[in-house]
Amino acid sequence: MRTGIKTGLLLLAALTALLLGIGVGSVYVPPGDILAIAAGRIFDMPLPDHIPTGYSAMVLDMRLPRVLLAFLTGAALAVCGAVMQSLLQNPLASPFGLGVSSGAGLGAAVVIVMGGAVAGVGTFLMPAVSLMFALGTVCLVLFLSAKLDRNMSNVTVILLGMVISLFCNALMSLLATGSPAHAQRIQLWQLGSFSMREWSAVWALLPVTVVICLYFLRYAGELDVMTFGEEQALSMGVDLRRVKGRLMAAVAVLTGTAVAFVGIIGFVDLIVPHIARRFFGAAHRRMLPACALFGGTFLVLCDLAARTLTPPHEIPIGSITALLGAPFFLYLFFGGRKNG
Amino acid sequence: MNGITMLKAEQLSCGYGKTRVIHDLSFQVAAGGRLCILGPNGCGKTTLLRALAGVIPWQGRVEADGVSLRGVSPKQRAQKIALMSQFSQAVFDYTVYETVMLGRYAHHSGSLFPVKTQDDRAVVEDALRRTGVWELREQLVTRLSGGQLQRVFLARTFAQEPQIILLDEPANHLDPRYQEALLESLREWTADQGRCVAGVFHDLSLALAFADTVLLLEEGRALACGPVEELEEKLLDRLYGMDVRRYMKKIYGRWK
Repeated sequence: MRTGIKTGLLLLAALTALLLGIGVGSVYVPPGDILAIAAGRIFDMPLPDHIPTGYSAMVLDMRLPRVLLAFLTGAALAVCGAVMQSLLQNPLASPFGLGVSSGAGLGAAVVIVMGGAVAGVGTFLMPAVSLMFALGTVCLVLFLSAKLDRNMSNVTVILLGMVISLFCNALMSLLATGSPAHAQRIQLWQLGSFSMREWSAVWALLPVTVVICLYFLRYAGELDVMTFGEEQALSMGVDLRRVKGRLMAAVAVLTGTAVAFVGIIGFVDLIVPHIARRFFGAAHRRMLPACALFGGTFLVLCDLAARTLTPPHEIPIGSITALLGAPFFLYLFFGGRKNG
Repeated sequence: MNGITMLKAEQLSCGYGKTRVIHDLSFQVAAGGRLCILGPNGCGKTTLLRALAGVIPWQGRVEADGVSLRGVSPKQRAQKIALMSQFSQAVFDYTVYETVMLGRYAHHSGSLFPVKTQDDRAVVEDALRRTGVWELREQLVTRLSGGQLQRVFLARTFAQEPQIILLDEPANHLDPRYQEALLESLREWTADQGRCVAGVFHDLSLALAFADTVLLLEEGRALACGPVEELEEKLLDRLYGMDVRRYMKKIYGRWK
């Protein structure tokens, strides 16, 4: 029962965040008008007279895809963070620890620097190359871990993830130093942005997010058992090597895809799982869906703040998440501790 | 040894990478039997338990209730043998009830929509009551004391409904009252038909009070294996490189 009420509240918060994200901007569009515009497009109805005709394109082709992209990214990063924390039995683990972000960053930097040579190949070139680099980096980390340590123990994976990440970051710095003209773009990419507000990005990220989240949910029981230690999980009947390999691959694909479109957005993956656990308990069956909703809502609100706090400039989303998230997190944990 | 053999190892060898820790070890435990594995630090006690539980690969032959464990799936193996690891940890906020319910993992087939049956709930309740943690069922495992947590992990092991329970230092973190309660609940559990226990204890007196059979392990090889009553004292002295009886007297002798 109480879980039902909490889920209802969370869904309500998510919906409110989405409507706010779409409504607030250079001009305010109230929720009723947003629904009218959406209904108008879907059912091919004429718009009510008080809504200017330009609003339809602004809401449906600029704001809506951007908000959806933010929501999907938040959901994807939060869920991947939760899965990594459970896989490595480490509340500080993050999907970026596998080298996803630095790999993607290196890929983006390569595209930016060589941009002149390959101009006009389309908006999907950068995400595609980033994703390839991200997956390549993760493969390298996992391959080396397996090579060095047959059991792929968590310490080995975390350590190699750090080493390879730092190596990729160093390469990225070299690229940036070697072509100062592009240095700023490389740096900005690393802070993340939803400015690629196109439906094509939403359509690319949506199926990957949904499929992989359902895949994680299928392994909810295994993840629960694995948080109690690998030796215990093995003796309780978990096919550890297989499950771990599959889940890490899925984390890499989902994080890699999200990061490829929006750049590196930290904090969500680390903090949202802790918030979700606090309200919905640690069992993955409830915690993972809650993570997706919390993560999506959080990132939509962060993007809203990024767009509206300092107009006409946008604050990089990667700094907003920490700016808003850190105090919220501290309040939640240390505020709650007094009465708990 | 009379009765049915529950756990049987023949020519069992295992180790880590190229290092062998256990060499051609053979022993068996009868139904209703309680085996304790004794030996100095580093002789391979925990490694042996790990091999039996399928945590590390092994060569040789291991049978549980007459069925070879070579090539069985992890879940099938877990339905026969459970390990209460000393390396189990509680990192995230699960309730005691949820934690014990995880013991049912090996009995479920993986699916997007798993069903907890009436049977699962009955088994979990029984396990919680046997170990005296029923009252704690709504508590978070991260808030429990070491002793309470150890009992919750034992409940989870019971909920797995194995025929063989392997224990790695189960009495750690427990005060004498709970040590006795834990060993008593294990004795009760073993008394049912077709079950047995094999354990590693660091406390020699506890081990000898609990077990009916002893396996002495020296550098990964069996020094002796037999009923507790027939255990030769000089073998214990050799195993630990000390006069064990004098040591025991020194500890307990003051009370007389």
